Amino acid sequence: MITAGIDAGSRAIKIVLFDIQRQTVFATAVCDQGTNQKVRARRLYDNLLRENGLGHKAIRTLVATGYGRHMLDFCDTTVTEISCHAAGVLHHVSDATTVIDIGGQDSKLIRVGADGKVRDFVMNDRCAAGTGRFLEVVSQRLNIPLDALGPAAERSEHPAKISSMCVVFAETEIIGLLAGGQSCENIIAGVQRSIAQRTVAMGGKDIAPPVVFTGGVALISGMKEALERLLELPVNICPAPQFTGALGASILAAKYET
Amino acid sequence: MDKPAQITLWEWDARYWRLEDQGLEERFFGGPLHRHVQSGDTRLAHLKFDNSPAALALWNLLLSENDRLARYRRHGMKIVGTMKDLGTVPVMALSFENLVAFYPDGAWWTPCLMEQNEGLFTLAARIGLDESLCPVRAMAGAFINREHFPIPDLLISSSGAVCDDFSVIAQRLQQLGFPVHWWEVPHRRTPSYGETAVRLSTGFYAATAQVQFVQRELQGVRRLLEDATGHRLTASMLSAGIRKANKFREVLARLRYLVYTAEIAPIGSLEMLISEMLAIHFCSDYSEALVVLQELLLEIEARVERGIGVLSGDAVRVFWINPVADLRVMNLLEECGGRVCGSEYLFAHALDSIPEDTYPMEALARAVLADPMVGSTLDRARRILGDIRRFGAEGVVISRIPGASHCAYEGELIGETVRQSTGMPVVEIEVPSLCDSIEPSIRTRLEALIETIKTRKQT
Repeated sequence: MITAGIDAGSRAIKIVLFDIQRQTVFATAVCDQGTNQKVRARRLYDNLLRENGLGHKAIRTLVATGYGRHMLDFCDTTVTEISCHAAGVLHHVSDATTVIDIGGQDSKLIRVGADGKVRDFVMNDRCAAGTGRFLEVVSQRLNIPLDALGPAAERSEHPAKISSMCVVFAETEIIGLLAGGQSCENIIAGVQRSIAQRTVAMGGKDIAPPVVFTGGVALISGMKEALERLLELPVNICPAPQFTGALGASILAAKYET
Repeated sequence: MDKPAQITLWEWDARYWRLEDQGLEERFFGGPLHRHVQSGDTRLAHLKFDNSPAALALWNLLLSENDRLARYRRHGMKIVGTMKDLGTVPVMALSFENLVAFYPDGAWWTPCLMEQNEGLFTLAARIGLDESLCPVRAMAGAFINREHFPIPDLLISSSGAVCDDFSVIAQRLQQLGFPVHWWEVPHRRTPSYGETAVRLSTGFYAATAQVQFVQRELQGVRRLLEDATGHRLTASMLSAGIRKANKFREVLARLRYLVYTAEIAPIGSLEMLISEMLAIHFCSDYSEALVVLQELLLEIEARVERGIGVLSGDAVRVFWINPVADLRVMNLLEECGGRVCGSEYLFAHALDSIPEDTYPMEALARAVLADPMVGSTLDRARRILGDIRRFGAEGVVISRIPGASHCAYEGELIGETVRQSTGMPVVEIEVPSLCDSIEPSIRTRLEALIETIKTRKQT
């Protein structure tokens, strides 16, 4: 029996087909969000089913999550990213207590109880300074591709201090740092630390291990280490972190009757 | 009795004419709701309302206040603007026959109701009151364009521990030629060891010296009101005013208890927010406000008796902290599967009875110091915790008001206190005067809160 989860995020659409009996991921797909999320999600979903020799009736339940979830009217139901990320992470790390999700436009810190249920959560989707958007801005400003940011940060010897709490002003600050002779490596590492600081601050004192890092930003090397330094705790990157929300949606789909 | 439901403005209009054909009896401010949209309150078209005639009267009372104020002016009554005053000077005003208290701060909802078409924020910004201040700055715009309410004969404003933003706004009004009488509210400190203190209605304690200080401040207000009306305010007149205020608060307390403890929500959170707001200054008409509230109570008693309501029985019980700048958000919580079971809209002390067993001026001074906003945040959090337990809430929403100085730091402290004491999920949202552009973000938070609570309830 197969269920499906679609995560219509702010940067990309991710789909996971999940085999309930075997408790394994059956297939995945991803594409950019574009301007017509509903059409793109539908096309991606149809293609994924076709590529795997499945008809629509083979999918027991289809759950949408993410920023654009309410636009996907071909899905059976919607579940928030909070519940889906928690479910997705718990599939891989069953004793996870803290889930940190940093996506393209928002970040979340989810606390999970010993019973595996979400206990509480905090969320930032009003300020880009704590999200992947900050990395996109620095990537454009320094003319370094996103996937090269991590290796560059690793070469940093003295991460620059980014004091601005706003991406727009931080960009101005980066220009000033470049003019002052700071290396790109130090600036990137400084931005990573700044994102980590905002995420950790969101959680206050109540951040307990095991900490699992998920979302698209977890793919960028250096971010995990930035979080670890601030938390003074080991941070585990969730396998296939970009798909955690869609995976959680497909797992939770099993609980919904169509 | 018709089946309780939440209906749109247009559905209400269709229903209104049907009810009128059936002999609907209304107060002088009655009528179909759409007339308020025609006069500019376009936000109403995006809200859902309770379908009872009692709720219709509540909305009409709220939305016709400016007409009543204009009528008072024509009839030669004095209008006193009681600013940054959550239920103290209005009680004094209630004790005079020819004086009515008006709460200009209420204009903070005008940008929401009129969807910013009236330009009040722009007017306020022109005199230096920009978005770094709370939306109450809309009031300053209404003083400038004089299109929303008659300029009161007197302006009385509290200052000190009550609200920094408001003092800034009222000071600017004074500079523009609207004289303001100020009275000081001190920060409610913990009484020192050995110092005499009194227990306040909210359960807090205040040093007797602070009560006496506030009493002296209120004496200044009293003299001003006496001069303006040409009548002396005797202790017995003030006691009578306090009894009237308490009568209103008792009806409201009964209403809150029934609605917040009922198994099925008998009415929506929007109507409850408005009902609670009436306690501040009775919407400039004590008698009518009391009648409206009593009729609403009768409706709710009947619904609770029959076990019927406007939301499903599995709606999650949420405690709501701070008022919202956009009324639409209260509907949104219900669309997400929640219901409000308990509230602290920054004027909890205006819901408590004023002591009747003490000298009335002292009783009012005590009521002032009972204000949760004038003491430590921990005091406020404790009161909230008590109400959360009393009403059996399962989660908490803390709604921040952009620019409001109290909200900037109190929300996090209250949230942390609630989490630690109850273990229940708390979510913070920030609600501007029009939330349409960020509705998906608010919706996600509210839906996630509801999901979290529902999942936790599953065995």
